[in-house]
Amino acid sequence: MSEASGGALIALGLVFAPLSLLSFGGGNAVIADIAQQSIAVHHWTSEREFADLFALSRAAPGPGSMLATLIGWKVAGVSGALIATTAFYLPSALLVFGAARLWGRWRGSVWHEAIERGLAPIAAGLFLSGGIVVLHASPAGWPVWAAAIVTTAALLRWPSLHPVPLLLAGAALFGLVAVL
Amino acid sequence: MPQTNLPHPEERPGGARREGRTARSPVIGLTRMFLAFLWLGCTSFGGGTAGWLYREMVLKRRWLDEATFLSDFALGQAIPGSNGVKLTVQIGQRLRGAAGAVTALVGLLAGPFAIVLAVGAAYAGFGENRILQQMLDGVAAAVIGLTFATGLNSMTQSRPGLTGAILAAATVLGVGVLRWPMLPVVAVLAPLGIALALVEPRRR
Repeated sequence: MSEASGGALIALGLVFAPLSLLSFGGGNAVIADIAQQSIAVHHWTSEREFADLFALSRAAPGPGSMLATLIGWKVAGVSGALIATTAFYLPSALLVFGAARLWGRWRGSVWHEAIERGLAPIAAGLFLSGGIVVLHASPAGWPVWAAAIVTTAALLRWPSLHPVPLLLAGAALFGLVAVL
Repeated sequence: MPQTNLPHPEERPGGARREGRTARSPVIGLTRMFLAFLWLGCTSFGGGTAGWLYREMVLKRRWLDEATFLSDFALGQAIPGSNGVKLTVQIGQRLRGAAGAVTALVGLLAGPFAIVLAVGAAYAGFGENRILQQMLDGVAAAVIGLTFATGLNSMTQSRPGLTGAILAAATVLGVGVLRWPMLPVVAVLAPLGIALALVEPRRR
């Protein structure tokens, strides 16, 4: 992947920097759009590869959206990974750095509250959309749907459940089925 | 730093707390900060970095208090980006200003960056392995469940009412089901949501 062209790096930046500024409610909110851009628009990954990179990005520690790093790496090696990571995290980091002062001034104002309340349901909708799109991209079919629904129900029932055992259980269960 | 002058209505009255923060927490060296965030980045499995930050920075190291953490978190909700990254910038900024924010952010991301590339390289070698792919499907399913639960939880916790439920449903329909690009969907729905929140009486 050493023949990374400048065009590919620019394309990565142009995809991930705007997404950084659209990821209301956290990095998960733009997974649907990352999938769309990587699979359909830019053909960076197949659906299978995208589903795998998604799972890999989650099996690794750190902020959830190391997905951008992995896609950048897939497209253009380490420089692609650096560009995608920077493009995905830096704009939002700069924004939060600058906004803190303004926000403190607005605290308690009508606007502050309206923005917080008005964006909350959209953020929740984006979260759910991200899950749906990744489910569609996963070629494994109904077992993944079933496991996702069981996990959702378990986490809603026991919110303090630690995620890592669930990830391990998912890997173990599906791995076991594959072996048998 | 400008942030020490932020008015926080929910904080204890008077300057005791503001003084307390600087007096109680002696200046934390940048190296120490970098190592703390590096460690956090390398150990925060399963996403939800905000929760790990809370455990490490508030409960364990006591580098900032709970009220500050929570108000930073609430502020972050109206700003796009990964919650863990936003909080990391905010905490770094509070502790050591701009240099602190950069140090904390680079520290947080450096470990996962290296790990995820190593994992990706391993995947490139074993990607065609059927069992590995199945295991990744299992991990993905659990993570999708985590995503759904977070979405549904934040839905119910913010008590959005009927308009909120309709907005969330419209978002799911547009982005999740019809697979429209997110930018126009959000560009239409976000102003609508804010406008509705402005005219609607406060629910809580």
